[in-house]
Amino acid sequence: MDITGHDGSRLLDVHTPVDAETQRAMLRHMLIARGIDEEAGLLENQGALDLWLSCRGQEAAQVGSAMAIGDEAVIFPSYREHAVAVVRGIDAVSLAAQWAGRTFCGWNPCVHRFFPYTLVLAAQTLHAVGYAIGQRLQNITENVVVYVGDGATSEGDMSEALNLAAVESAPVLFICQNNGWAISKPSHEQMRTSIGERANGFGVRSWSVSADDPDSTYLACLEARRYVERSASPGLIELRTTRIGGHTTTDPHASYREPDELAAAIANDPVVKYRDTLVTLDVVDDEWLDAVDAEVAAARHGLIEAFAS
Amino acid sequence: MIDSKPMCLAESLNGALRELMDDDDSVVLVGQDIGRLGGVFRVTKGLQERFGTDRVRDAILAESSIVGQAIGMSLSGLKPVCEIQFEGFIYPGMNQIITQAAKMTTRWNDDIALNLVIRVPVGGGIRAVEHHSESNEAYFAHTPGLKVAFPSSPTDAAAMLKYSTSAGSPVIFFEPKRLYWKRRQQPRELLEPATPLSARIVRRGSDITVVGFGAVLEDVLAAADQVASTADVEVVDLRWVAPMDVDTVLDSVARTGRLLVVHEAIGFSGVGAEVIATVAEHGFHHLKGPMRRLAAPRRIYPPADYEKHYLTGVPEIASTIEEMCA
Repeated sequence: MDITGHDGSRLLDVHTPVDAETQRAMLRHMLIARGIDEEAGLLENQGALDLWLSCRGQEAAQVGSAMAIGDEAVIFPSYREHAVAVVRGIDAVSLAAQWAGRTFCGWNPCVHRFFPYTLVLAAQTLHAVGYAIGQRLQNITENVVVYVGDGATSEGDMSEALNLAAVESAPVLFICQNNGWAISKPSHEQMRTSIGERANGFGVRSWSVSADDPDSTYLACLEARRYVERSASPGLIELRTTRIGGHTTTDPHASYREPDELAAAIANDPVVKYRDTLVTLDVVDDEWLDAVDAEVAAARHGLIEAFAS
Repeated sequence: MIDSKPMCLAESLNGALRELMDDDDSVVLVGQDIGRLGGVFRVTKGLQERFGTDRVRDAILAESSIVGQAIGMSLSGLKPVCEIQFEGFIYPGMNQIITQAAKMTTRWNDDIALNLVIRVPVGGGIRAVEHHSESNEAYFAHTPGLKVAFPSSPTDAAAMLKYSTSAGSPVIFFEPKRLYWKRRQQPRELLEPATPLSARIVRRGSDITVVGFGAVLEDVLAAADQVASTADVEVVDLRWVAPMDVDTVLDSVARTGRLLVVHEAIGFSGVGAEVIATVAEHGFHHLKGPMRRLAAPRRIYPPADYEKHYLTGVPEIASTIEEMCA
C-alpha cells in the first residue's frame, strides 16, 4: 500500500496489511448496510418510506473510512452515510425513521458520536471546523470528521470551511466521497480542478484514492487520520467511489446515465467483490456468512415491522 | 425611578460582555475586527487584551463561516457570541442562521441546547452608506427557532445580552446603531419586565398605547412628552420581536382602547403588522378607534441625504397620536 499526498510526497508509512478481524468487521458492516439499503428501497416503493437515498456502491468508501477513523471520532455526516451509521451501531429502524417522516434524526447523536444528517449541502463542514476549534479551546482532544459529497464541494461553505480550517489549523478530517454525480450533473462538469487540488490551494493537505476496495480505503483513511492527529491540522481525503443507484428513490438515473457506465458500476459492486475476496482468502467461512445473513435478515425484518405494518 | 446611568449602548454592551466572560469561561466572541480593533463600533474594545486571542477571536472575512463555526463551537459546549459587522452583511450567513442554527435543537430532538448569540448593529439615522442602515428584523422574526432581541436602552440591552448568551437557542441580537454613542435618554419608568422575554411598559398613560422597540422608542417617548397636554400616552417597549409578548400589549390596549405601533423597518409584512393583527384578533372589543402603524415605506433605504424623510420622526408620531386621540 503506497499512499501519497496530492503533492506527491509520501506521508506516513502504512504498510500494515489489514488484519482479518478488521476485514470481517468491514464485510459485516457492508452486508448489513446493503441489506438495510435494499429493504429501505423496497419499502419506499411500497409507500412505507417517503424517500430513500441509497448508498449502494459506496459501502467500501463508507465502511473503510468509518473503521479507519475509529469509534471515538465525532462525525458530521452529509445525508447518505448509512454505512457509516451502521459502523457506529445505529440500527436500521433508527436510520430509516427520518425517511418515513417520523423525526429529523432517528438516533441519539451524542451516544453514537454521529451527528444528524445535514441536507443543506456543505453546511456541516463549517460546524465541524467550529467544533474542532471549540474542543481545542476547552483542551479536549478529539478527532473530528466531516463527510461531504463531490457536488457539495461547489458550495461556498465548503471553501469557507477549508479556508477556516487551514487558517485556524483546525484538526478536521474532510472525507469527500466523489461518486461521480451530483444528481444528474457529472463531476467533470462540476469542477475544473480536483477536490484535492482545491484543498491544497487553501493550505489543506489532501489525498485522493480509489475507494471501491475497503482494505485500501481503510489504510488510506488511516493515513489521513494519523496525519490530522499528528500535525493537529486539517486534511482532506477524496474517496473516488461509485453510485450504483439513483440520487434518491425518485431519481430515474438511467435516463441520464450511459448504459455502459451504469453496467460497469453494477458489475463493480464493492460488496459482492469484497465478499468474494474474503471467501477466497478464507477470512470468512459459510458459518460466519450464515450468521451475518441472519443479522441482515433481522435488520430487514425490523424495518418491515416498523414501517410496513 | 429614572434611568440615570450615563452609559451609552456601546459601553453597556462592552461591560456586559466583560462580565459575561469574567463569570463564564465558555463565553467566546467571534467577529470581524472585534479583537485588535475592538469592533468597528468599539463594542468589544479592550476585551481581547483582557481575555486573549483565544476567547476574543478576529474572524476571517466570511459571514457564513462566522455563524457556521459558532454553531460548531456551541455544539462543542461553548457559548459563542458572534458579531456581524453590519446588518447589511448578515446575508452571506443567512443560510447558516435559517437552515442550521434555527433548526439545530429540533433536528437533535431537543436533546441539546444551542447557546449562540449573533449581535447585529441595525438601523439608520447615522448617515451611513448603502447596506449600513436597514432594519430587517422581520426576516428573522418569521423564522421559528430564532429569538430576536431588539433593545431600546443601554441598561436593558446589557440585561438582554446576558440572558441571550445562555438562552439555549439562537438569538439574533439587534443593536440600534444610533444608540451606540447616545448618552442622553428620555426618562422612563423602570418597571422590571415580568420575565426576561417580556415586553415592558416604559411610560404609563391612559389614552393610547404606543408600541415600539429599538431606537425608535426614544422618538416615541419624546413625542409622548410633546403631546402630554392633550393625550396621556402609554408606551410599551416590545424588547423582543420574537417571541413577541402580545399579552403585555393586549393588557395595555384593554386599558387605553387605542393602539399605535411605530418601527423603523418597512411597514409591509413588518413586525407592526403582527402586533396589529394580534390585537385585531384578540383585543378588537377594547378598541375605541382604528389601530395605526407608523413605519418606513416599502422602498429601498435611500442615500443619507434623504434618510430623514424616509424615517419616521417625532413630529409625525406626535401628530398621529393627537389625531388618534382627538
